[in-house]
Amino acid sequence: MNPFSTTIEARAKPILLYNDECAICRRIGTWVQKSAQSKSGQKRIIAQPIGDDPKALRVLNPKLDIWDAYATIHVLMPDGSMKLGGEAVAEVLRDLPNTKWFAWCFAISLFGFRPCQMILNFGYLILSDVRPLLGCESCGMPNVWVRPILKMVKWVKGIFAKRPLVSPTPHATLFSAVTPRALPVKEAFHS
Amino acid sequence: MNDTMPDLAEATDQIQTVTGDEFNAVVLEAAGPIAVEFMSYGCPHCRTIEPVLQRVAEMVKSKVKMVRVNVAIEQEVASNYNIEGTPSLIMFLNGRQVGRIEGPSPTVASVLTAVTHPFKR
Repeated sequence: MNPFSTTIEARAKPILLYNDECAICRRIGTWVQKSAQSKSGQKRIIAQPIGDDPKALRVLNPKLDIWDAYATIHVLMPDGSMKLGGEAVAEVLRDLPNTKWFAWCFAISLFGFRPCQMILNFGYLILSDVRPLLGCESCGMPNVWVRPILKMVKWVKGIFAKRPLVSPTPHATLFSAVTPRALPVKEAFHS
Repeated sequence: MNDTMPDLAEATDQIQTVTGDEFNAVVLEAAGPIAVEFMSYGCPHCRTIEPVLQRVAEMVKSKVKMVRVNVAIEQEVASNYNIEGTPSLIMFLNGRQVGRIEGPSPTVASVLTAVTHPFKR
């Protein structure tokens, strides 16, 4: 199914794009979808998975790159602009009926700085980095500072699970300058 | 100007995306050398290596066909080939697997060797 089948409706409203390969992002996306419904039944923001089709994304916004979309949270605004990271989170909070009452604080500016927005940006960066600890299996190799914590979590889980630990994430792998190996003929008939 | 951007982006993509349904016809039943990249858009390593792969695909396009399989979507294909990490490259010659590499170094030389070496043996 094309996740952007509601494009025409979506044009009039901001669209939150979330990584549907990531458990924590999926939960947040689902929460936004549910929370976006106002009392009048109208949605002020639409949450949609990024999907896997670069062309479908470019239909929404020609400047939108699928790799960027997976790397950072994006909110596509009806005027054609995009909000990223903490700015996108603030936009989502402004659009949700349950959170808009406090989201005004992100616009407060003191001497050219927006302290609440800065805290939110920082919070987003932390959350983005620790996603592998929260069940994201598609975020690749975690950042350097998260790796020891992730190892420790897996070690503790391994103790309670009483079974051998598996590799960190299905999609994570270390770069290694391994020379390609040509398989012998027997192995070449793989599966 | 915006209307031309998708076409430009499309034109620069040297690697065809293959779905699970197409995999047999495009890879296993095809003649000649084919390099299959198993990747995911959520994987930062795949993003790092993407421009390198595009360059290599352009360099070898007369000899080796390069395609990609999105493991987040095509999990069955990934499972059939025991893909445990992305990016992984598997080289096929006349439908037969002749080589594979996981997480190649993101340099043109390294990827070029990975893609062409198995077919020289």
